[in-house]
Amino acid sequence: MKLELGNFYVKDINFGEKTAFKDEILSINKEEALEVVYKDEHITEADIKIVRPGDMVRLVPVKEAIEPRCRVDGGALFSGVTGKLIQAGDGKTNCLKDMSVLVVGKHWGGFQDGLIDMGGEGAKYTYFSSLKNVVLVADTDEEFEKREQQKKNHALRWAGMRLAEYLGKTVKALEPEDKEEYSLEPVTKRAKEVTELPSVVIVMQPQSQMEELGYNDLNYGWDTNRMLPTFMHPNEILDGAVISGSFMPSSSKWSTYDFQNFPLIKRLYKEHGKTINFLGVIMSNLNVALEQKERSALFVAQMAKSLGADAAVVTEEGYGNPDADYIGCIVALEDAGIKTVGVSNEATGRDGGSQPLVTLDPKADALVSTGNVSELITLPPMETVIGELEALARDGLSGGWADDEILGSSVKEDGSIIMENNSMFCGDQIAGWSPKTMKEF
Amino acid sequence: MVKEIERAGFPVVQMANLIPVAKTVGSNRIVPTISIPYPLGDPSTSKEEQWKLRYHRVGVALDALTSDIDDQTVFDVEI
Amino acid sequence: MKKAVVYLNQFFGQIGGEEVADHPPEIREEKVGAAMLYDQLLDGEVTHTVICGDNYMGSNKDKAIDTILDFLEDVEFDIFFAGPAFQAGRYGIACGEIGKAVKEKFNVPVISSMNIENPGVEIFKKDIYIFPGGHSAAKMKNDVTKMVEFGNKILNNEELLPAEEEGYYKRGIRHQYFLKDKTPAAERAVEMLLKKINGEDFESELPIPELDRVDIAPAVEDLSDAKIALVTSGGIVPVDNPDKIQSASATRWGKYDISGMEKLGNREDGAFKTIHAGYDPAAADADPNVVVPVDAMRAYEKEGKIGKLHNYFYSTVGTGTTQGEAARMGREIAQDLKEAEVQAVILTST
Repeated sequence: MKLELGNFYVKDINFGEKTAFKDEILSINKEEALEVVYKDEHITEADIKIVRPGDMVRLVPVKEAIEPRCRVDGGALFSGVTGKLIQAGDGKTNCLKDMSVLVVGKHWGGFQDGLIDMGGEGAKYTYFSSLKNVVLVADTDEEFEKREQQKKNHALRWAGMRLAEYLGKTVKALEPEDKEEYSLEPVTKRAKEVTELPSVVIVMQPQSQMEELGYNDLNYGWDTNRMLPTFMHPNEILDGAVISGSFMPSSSKWSTYDFQNFPLIKRLYKEHGKTINFLGVIMSNLNVALEQKERSALFVAQMAKSLGADAAVVTEEGYGNPDADYIGCIVALEDAGIKTVGVSNEATGRDGGSQPLVTLDPKADALVSTGNVSELITLPPMETVIGELEALARDGLSGGWADDEILGSSVKEDGSIIMENNSMFCGDQIAGWSPKTMKEF
Repeated sequence: MVKEIERAGFPVVQMANLIPVAKTVGSNRIVPTISIPYPLGDPSTSKEEQWKLRYHRVGVALDALTSDIDDQTVFDVEI
Repeated sequence: MKKAVVYLNQFFGQIGGEEVADHPPEIREEKVGAAMLYDQLLDGEVTHTVICGDNYMGSNKDKAIDTILDFLEDVEFDIFFAGPAFQAGRYGIACGEIGKAVKEKFNVPVISSMNIENPGVEIFKKDIYIFPGGHSAAKMKNDVTKMVEFGNKILNNEELLPAEEEGYYKRGIRHQYFLKDKTPAAERAVEMLLKKINGEDFESELPIPELDRVDIAPAVEDLSDAKIALVTSGGIVPVDNPDKIQSASATRWGKYDISGMEKLGNREDGAFKTIHAGYDPAAADADPNVVVPVDAMRAYEKEGKIGKLHNYFYSTVGTGTTQGEAARMGREIAQDLKEAEVQAVILTST
């Protein structure tokens, strides 16, 4: 399988007469772009805005981030989700880099939604403040979940994907500025000098804990709650096979943009053939019952063993009870003699004194920590808010609250906020960007 | 929480699905439940089956409260 | 000018040696002995010295602490130094005891210094800042300097670095930290993996801590005579959530009357629901008894297997709740259980 990602570096984005990419500038015909958004009749109100790094803008409630791309040979960007099923990870895909499409609720937020500050001291808490962003801010008629804390956000997330595909088409016929090539020989058909290197798998545990369909990450359009661990080619992940869901506190989430660019996968690719033999991805899951957790760990360890893995990286999209899947999987791999490193965030509480993961095991002796979900963050007011600031306090965001005896509401009258890191949009960057770790103080 | 209740001198049995978590937290008497969202009754089964399971496991928990133990113990359940 | 108080034992407070180790606490509005060294180095002023004999503190701990806290009631101070205690065990423990009490009562930073062999380190490193110190008073200047340099950073509101950089013993308090060189997690993970593969030394960013255990409470002797209470971390509450328990990171708990109820009514009935945001609420909303098994307990009550089901069940939310908050709520609930003469508890978690 060979994937060629063609990169187009976006220097700026503006509105214009024609939606096109020219001279490193992405122009958007807003009317036409909104037509794409309104294709779903459930979208009742929509607007598109552009934000840049350093802008004094606060976005909340942020639901999703997507990199605009286009398959050069045609076909849906998100196989089985925005179009028919096709093989992802093989062929040419052109990408608009240094930017994303962000999806923001015009009014209503939920447990899984997050916040982004594009400028000021809050900017450091999310990766997306470093990108230029096309912001879709919209409302829907999904009345059944308007006041529910858990939201599927279906209409908004799908509108975001359509918009990303629409923008991606601007570079379909253009020659990219540079190309990244990703290919792996079949596991049993590799050169001797490669197979002699230590063999490594990455085990991904995407969010799949809602038994009701519509909230979980999708794998080729298939709800990951209905999936047992399976073996995948890393190119599939980098090419839109998996999309983000709508469950789990925001800082622990992997957005669709994160899947498309998964730094841990890219970093392992970099070592392939040099220091390691990168076998591929074991796509596992996260569960709600011990038996399910144990079953998945069993599948993962067996697959890794059968593939001949000497070492593994395990990473989870979540915290709390998913830590039991995470640690359970690491322990199962270590018990199978596979040297394992884990990548996840911690939940040590606002005071830093709580047990970092809900299960701990001395066999998990090599862990990378990417942040503390419950770290308290206070930020000054912002000139501009896109979305609705009150959602942070009102709508049950995982890191916001309506009132607290000591701290009051998350949203103050002057527009300043106090929140837990939990609601920083994909803030713990568990996919691998995180410049944060955890230290003893 | 379970630890503080036990520290205050109450025998306490924790009914939990995630046994590794209950063990890490330091619960001494543990009775397994069937899942996180529905510890004591799977909604995909009949009301009668849910009741049987719940009645049984709560019974095991009550027996656990009368059991003298020397170490962290996970009590066996039959249904 | 910022003000400091220094705690010394009888020896460093210049009362005398072992023969006066029973010296009761006193406070002096001056700099005694080692307090002068603190004063020279501090970005501020040492206004008072507290002196107490090590044996007095050892054998009259509560009285000594109360006396000293009373002394300090009317003293204005921004920081409290105790020791350095070097390898002197009794002195170390005294510094820890008084340091912890001062921290709790006045909420000011407390800094001490002890040699790694000092038993005070293990007992009190979680409660106060303790810097590694020398074996004996020969290291006085060195140890005090380390303590005061850190104290100055606090007093000047400078950014405090992680324990390993500041130098004090780790306290088990973990916070997120932006790496100065911004090395991304993917880089750190692969680097760690390669080291692990190659059998080289590597440092986990999350060393697995030792677990705290609690003594096993004795079994209930006669269940048929016992009052049993139900407690849950599954967030089952009356539909209007009267105590406004948070759906994550809870700091509140509630107790709800179930006297006369054969089972818990559900959300549709306008009775009980879950507000726990960490799991799919459908099943618990449809039948809260799957989380708080009131119906099964009633059956056992009728059969006479248990004496009585307590008239209230207790509820909070487990997800994201800090251990500190959970422990406090646990203590409060335990207190309530005691007053209600409950004998044993079933705690259900989700």
